[in-house]
Amino acid sequence: MASLLQPDRVVYLVRGEKRIRAPLSQLYFCRYCSELRSLECVSHEVDSHYCPSCLENMPSAEAKLKKNRCANCFDCPCCMHTLSTRATNIPAPLPDDPTKTAMKKAYYLACGFCRWTSRDVGMADKSVASGGWQEPENPHTQRINKLIEYYQQLAHREKQERDRKKLARRRQCMPLAFSEKYGLGTRLQKQRSGAPISSLAGLSLKEGEDQKEISIEPAQALDEVEPLPEDCYTRPISLPEVTTLRQRLLQPDFQPAGASQLHPRHKHLLMKRSLRCRKCEHNLSKPEFNPTSIKFKIQLVAVSYIPEVRIMSIPNLRYMKESQVLLTLTNPVENITHVTLGACEEEDPDDINSTAKVIVPTKELVLAGKDAAAEYDELAEPQDFQDDPDVVAFRKSNKIGFFIKVIPQKEEDADVTVSFKIRHDFRNLAAPIRPSEEAGDVAAEAIWLVHHVELRLGPLAP
Amino acid sequence: MPLFDGLGSGGEKTAIVIDLGAAYTKCGFAGETGPRFIIPSEIRKPGQQQATKVVQYNINTEELYVILKEFIHILYFRHLLVNPRDRRVVIIESILCPSHFRETLTKVFFKQFEVPSVLFAPSHLMAIMTLGINSALVMDCGHTETLVLPVYECTPILPAWEALPLGGKAIHKELDGLLVEQCTVDTDTTTGQSVPAVIGTIPEETVEDIKVRTCFVSDLQRGLKIQEAKFNLDGTAERPAPPPDVDYPLDGEKILHVKGSIRDSVMEILFEQDNEEKSVASLILDALVKCPIDTRKVLSENLVVIGGTAMLPGFLHRLLAEIRLLVEKPKYSDVLASKSFRIHAPPAKPSCTAWLGGAIFGALQDILGSRSVSRDYYNQTGRIPDWCCLSSPPPESLYEAGKTPPPLMKRAFSTEK
Repeated sequence: MASLLQPDRVVYLVRGEKRIRAPLSQLYFCRYCSELRSLECVSHEVDSHYCPSCLENMPSAEAKLKKNRCANCFDCPCCMHTLSTRATNIPAPLPDDPTKTAMKKAYYLACGFCRWTSRDVGMADKSVASGGWQEPENPHTQRINKLIEYYQQLAHREKQERDRKKLARRRQCMPLAFSEKYGLGTRLQKQRSGAPISSLAGLSLKEGEDQKEISIEPAQALDEVEPLPEDCYTRPISLPEVTTLRQRLLQPDFQPAGASQLHPRHKHLLMKRSLRCRKCEHNLSKPEFNPTSIKFKIQLVAVSYIPEVRIMSIPNLRYMKESQVLLTLTNPVENITHVTLGACEEEDPDDINSTAKVIVPTKELVLAGKDAAAEYDELAEPQDFQDDPDVVAFRKSNKIGFFIKVIPQKEEDADVTVSFKIRHDFRNLAAPIRPSEEAGDVAAEAIWLVHHVELRLGPLAP
Repeated sequence: MPLFDGLGSGGEKTAIVIDLGAAYTKCGFAGETGPRFIIPSEIRKPGQQQATKVVQYNINTEELYVILKEFIHILYFRHLLVNPRDRRVVIIESILCPSHFRETLTKVFFKQFEVPSVLFAPSHLMAIMTLGINSALVMDCGHTETLVLPVYECTPILPAWEALPLGGKAIHKELDGLLVEQCTVDTDTTTGQSVPAVIGTIPEETVEDIKVRTCFVSDLQRGLKIQEAKFNLDGTAERPAPPPDVDYPLDGEKILHVKGSIRDSVMEILFEQDNEEKSVASLILDALVKCPIDTRKVLSENLVVIGGTAMLPGFLHRLLAEIRLLVEKPKYSDVLASKSFRIHAPPAKPSCTAWLGGAIFGALQDILGSRSVSRDYYNQTGRIPDWCCLSSPPPESLYEAGKTPPPLMKRAFSTEK
C-alpha cells in the first residue's frame, strides 16, 4: 500500500528552492549534498538522441545536422503513424529492347493505418528500399539566407561601432530596448577613413568589408492579391481532399491546404535525459547510451538510500480518540540503520498540513541491513534485536512494522494528515564505485539526516 | 562533443526562437527557414480532460509559473531536444503582452532552465526583417486580437497602435453560435436533429477545423450583399446564393451538416463595422491617420499582414478591397492624401512570418548578446526591462554608467569584447 497504487499517501518534503512534497518513489537523493532532490530542483539535460521507431542511436552532432530527424523512418502526413516501405514489382521496359518489359522491384511508402501511400501524392517509386526519399525544400531558402547575410553585415557594423564607442569612453545614446538602430549603416559609411577606429580595428578587415558590400533588394510590395477562384462559391468541397489544421501544422514550411500536397516527413527523434544536481553539478541520473537498454549508468533514486515509510493498516479513526496506526519502515541500504522518529515541534514551518496529533515511539528503531540473499536463505538465523513489543509489531529481514498513535484534531471531512520527522544515520560511500572490503575499513562516516514525512490516513470513520 | 559543436557555429550555439502565441506556439532554431514545430499552446495534465491554455493573463503568477514551466519543458525536451543552458533564447512577443506575463516567462527561463540570455522581440518589428525593408505598416491577425502597429525606419510608432478583439477566437465564437443555431446532425438512427440535442456543445478544436477546412472570406461585393441581407430585418435585401453545404463527420456515426450560408458569412464579423465604425480594415486606416504626415505614403505602400487568421482563403484580397473602399469615405479621404495601398508577400506563411524574423535576428551573433538580457543582469536586478518602464535602464547602459566590467557569465556567453 501507499507505494504502488497510492503513492501520494506518504510524502517526503524536499527543501529545494521551493518546498515540494512528493512520494519517495519520485525523488532523487544527491549523495554528494546528502539531500533529497525532486524533479523540480534538478537540471535536466539532453543525453542522447534516438529514433523511437527503429531504435537507432544518433550522435548529437549528426542529429543536429539532420534536424533531429531519423534518416530512415517516416511519419504518415495524414495520420502521423509510422510509414512502412512496401516492395512491389512493376513492369519496366528492358534497356536493350524497349518493346519487351520485365518485372522490376520498386519501393513505395505506405501507411498501415490510414492506407495513405506515397503514390497518392505522385511521388515516384524508388528502386532502393531506403535513403531515396527526400523532403521538399523551402522555396524561399535562398532569399532568407541572403537576408541573414545582409543583416549580419549590419550587425557587424553595429558591433564595430559599439566597440569604438567603448574605446572612446563615450556615452552611448541608447535606443529603447526594442527599437532597431539599423539605420546606422549609412552613417557609418560617411566616416572618415583616417578616424582612429580604422587603426584599432585592423585595416585589412575594414577594406575587406568595403569590397564585399552586400546589398539586398528590398521586397517589392504587390498592388493586387489574387482573389478567390470563381468556382469557390459554387463548387462543392470534398472534405478528405482538404487537409486538417493539424496536418498542415506538421509541415510548417508549406502548410498545404490540399491533401495532394502532403509529403511524408522523416520521423522526429526522441532523447534520453540525464539529471544533474543544481547545487553540486553531479549527475543524479544518467541513462545508458543504447536506446534499447532501460538501465542507467547512474541512478541515485531516493528509494535506494532513504528508509521508506509505508502505511500498513489504519484502524477506524475517530475525532479526539487515540488509535494505533501500523506503519512499516524499510531499510534500502546494506548496513544497519538507526532511526528515531520525532513529532513536529510547535510552529514548525514545515508542518502546515497536519490535522491530527501524533505520538511516535521514543525509542530508537534499528533496521537490519538489506540482504538480497536472505529471502532465499531459509536457514538464516533470525537476527537478534531486543525489540519492545509495544513499539515494534514485527520484524522481517530489513523491514520492521511499528505503531504510532494518532489523535485526530479536526472534525472536518478532509483526510486526517499527520506529519513527523524521521532521523536516520547514513553512511556516505562518496566514491561511486568502491570495492566493498575497502569501504569496510574506511568506515564511511555516518551522518544524520532528518526528513519531514507526511501521511494521509484517509477520512474519519463515520 | 559540445566543444566541436561550438567551433562549428562560430563560437556560439545557435539561439532558439520561440513565438508563444495565444493559440499556437512556433519554435525552432535561429538561422533556419521555418519553425521546427507549430504546436498548440496548451498543456495536458494526467487525469484532466481539458487541456490548460498556456497564454493566460488573468491567473495568478504562481499558477502561471507552473504552467509555463511545464510547457517550456516539453518544448525543450520533446521538440527541440537541446540543452536549455547552452543556448540564448529569442522570444517573439506582442507589445500588448502584460508585464506580469513576460516577467513570469523570464523567471521560468532564467530560474528553471538557466538559459544564458533572453531577448524579447516585438512581433511587428520582426516581421519586417523578413522583407529587407525598414518601414511598413504591420498588421498581426492573431487568435485573440488584431493589432496594427506602424514601423518607420525600424522604429515602431507606438502612439499609432490600433487593435480590435477580432481574431481566431472571435470567429470561433461566431461560428460555434451559428452551427448550434442553424445546423443539424445526423446519427445512425435519426436525421436532422439539432446540435445541442445530440452532442451538446461542439469542442473548440472541431470548430477550428470546420473553420479551416470549409470557411472562406467572400470578396467585397458579395460580402457587402451578405452584410446587407443580415442586417436587413424586413427581408428586402436578397442574399447571394450560398455555396454548397458540407457534411462534416464529427465521429464514426454522427454527421454535421454545415450550411453553405455559414461558410461564406461567418468571416464577415471581421469586416462588419461596429458602432464606432471599426473593422479590421479600418484599423489600418486609423493607424495611418495617427502617424506623422510624412510617413503615411511609405507606410500605406508597405502593408504587411501576419498571423494565422490572415491565412484564411480570400482574406488579403478582401482586406485590400475593403481598405480601398473605406479610404474613399469622407472620414479618411479628408485626412489621407495617398490612396495607394500595396501589400507585401513575406517569404514565409503568415503564421510564421514573425517567427522567421526572429530567426533572422537570432542568427546575428555579433549583436544578439548585447541586445539580450543576460542571466547575470537578471539575477542582479531581478526583473526584465520593459519598453514602457523607464526605471530600469537597458542592460548595457547600466554597465557603462557604473564603469563596472560585465560579470563573468556575460563575458563568457557574449561575443563582445
